[in-house]
Amino acid sequence: MKDLFKIFVLITVLFSTEQLFAQTERDKVEALRVTFISKKLELTSSESEKFWPLYNEYNDKIKAIKRNLRQSYNRKGLNASNEEAEELYQLDIQSRQAETDVHKQYSEKIKTIIGAKKIVKLRLAEEEFKREIINSIKEKSE
Amino acid sequence: MKNIHLVFNFKSALICLLFFIYGAITAQTSFDSLNIKSPKHYFNTLIVMDAYRKPDRAFKDTIPPINKRLKSYGIKQFNLSFHIPLYTKDIKETDGAISNVHLLLTGNYLALKPVFDGLSQHKLVKAGIGLRFIYNTGRKGLWFFEVSPFVTHDVTYPSRPYYRLASSAIYSYNFSDKLNMRLGVTKSFLWGNRLYLPFIGFRIGRLDKVNLSIQFPRCASLNFPFKSKYIFSVYTKPQGGMFNFSNHDSLYYKKTDATFHFARYEINTGFRFDVRVSTHFNFYMASGISSRNNISFYSERANKGRAGIYSTYFFTKDIAPSLYFNFGLVFKFGKTKSFYNNRNIYDAIDLNNTMGQNNGNAQIPLTPKKKSDYNLKSVQDLVDYNDF
Repeated sequence: MKDLFKIFVLITVLFSTEQLFAQTERDKVEALRVTFISKKLELTSSESEKFWPLYNEYNDKIKAIKRNLRQSYNRKGLNASNEEAEELYQLDIQSRQAETDVHKQYSEKIKTIIGAKKIVKLRLAEEEFKREIINSIKEKSE
Repeated sequence: MKNIHLVFNFKSALICLLFFIYGAITAQTSFDSLNIKSPKHYFNTLIVMDAYRKPDRAFKDTIPPINKRLKSYGIKQFNLSFHIPLYTKDIKETDGAISNVHLLLTGNYLALKPVFDGLSQHKLVKAGIGLRFIYNTGRKGLWFFEVSPFVTHDVTYPSRPYYRLASSAIYSYNFSDKLNMRLGVTKSFLWGNRLYLPFIGFRIGRLDKVNLSIQFPRCASLNFPFKSKYIFSVYTKPQGGMFNFSNHDSLYYKKTDATFHFARYEINTGFRFDVRVSTHFNFYMASGISSRNNISFYSERANKGRAGIYSTYFFTKDIAPSLYFNFGLVFKFGKTKSFYNNRNIYDAIDLNNTMGQNNGNAQIPLTPKKKSDYNLKSVQDLVDYNDF
């Protein structure tokens, strides 16, 4: 039992490394964004129960597409051969198309739940949050 | 003319349908053609290690004589439990709601060392594996079913293992984010006997904010989350179980019985502090007063043929209240689908937690304090470079 305890203490230390804290930061930002949007939208209880599962699914897809593209650029990017560059180019086009498709598909679904007015509010809230982030980063770098 | 009109209508409907299906497929395909792997489940794989200690209490009574044999009573307990999501399916309803089913594999290994100064040290093990089925209607309700067979065994001395089954069926209804009620039935050994109990739950307050939760027969707690990393709780809950006990020390006068049952329960009232160290690791500490302590020894033979509770015991004793200490580590593995503000998934996580590990709802995200120092790495999914 003591050996088992030592193993778990070791795992605990490994699980608390800095790299994992970076993930926590990302989660925090996402939680803040959701809270921000939630306040701006003022959804009713029945709107809320249908909206958030759909909106989370939409965000997961958009983020996955962006992350996939970013990681591909980071992996091959500057040292890409002609063939790899062509692949990256195709991936870039496909990713942007996929983003548009997902955006359209989910916007239509979300519109049936919260209506066009609140969709506009949603986009404005997303933009406002983004602006807050950008301003904060800009201020920090000055 | 009428027929032509009908054919035209049928054709146009078919074209519209094909166009719609094509549109839906291409939207899906363009995502799928990128071959992006996304998480399948809403539940993380979770492992909880829990250590519990209650100092010894000396027995002053001499009647019945078993008191004299036992001399004192204390508890050392270690519990390792886990759940793994096996299957998750989202179902898109026509009104836009997303319902889902979840199948979880649960496991539990509990090593209990009751400390009786007059007896040799026994190690009583309870090990089980179970299945949980959760159906989230995507609207206000949630169904929860659990079967959890387990075996109890005194591993220190020769004894016979005993197989038992705990189970529950519960319906949870969210009137709103801030008000929830649960009703169901549960077969539980938590109160030191084989009991069939109603499950009645009530919660005021959001699960990620300050909330009061009363979940009979499991726990009642007042929870104060703060700073997205900490939860302070004041709670009261029963703890106990039925274990097999070897008759190595000839505690039971019928020496032909190699094994009898040791049952215990107590009500723990105290405070608990949960710390979310990182995405994958949390820990908690708890302490308080253990009251309504009771231990009993049952002969299996004397209770044979009883379908309900065990009621013929050869020793039972209420023990004076004492302090207890509890410490736990929670490990989360894997990535999940996002479920921010999805109150039914929050509720599913809470129900799963209430009926099992008591892991501090490690998966439910807490709202952090407003940040003013974003870094590029943490926001790169939200901001494009050309946004600057």
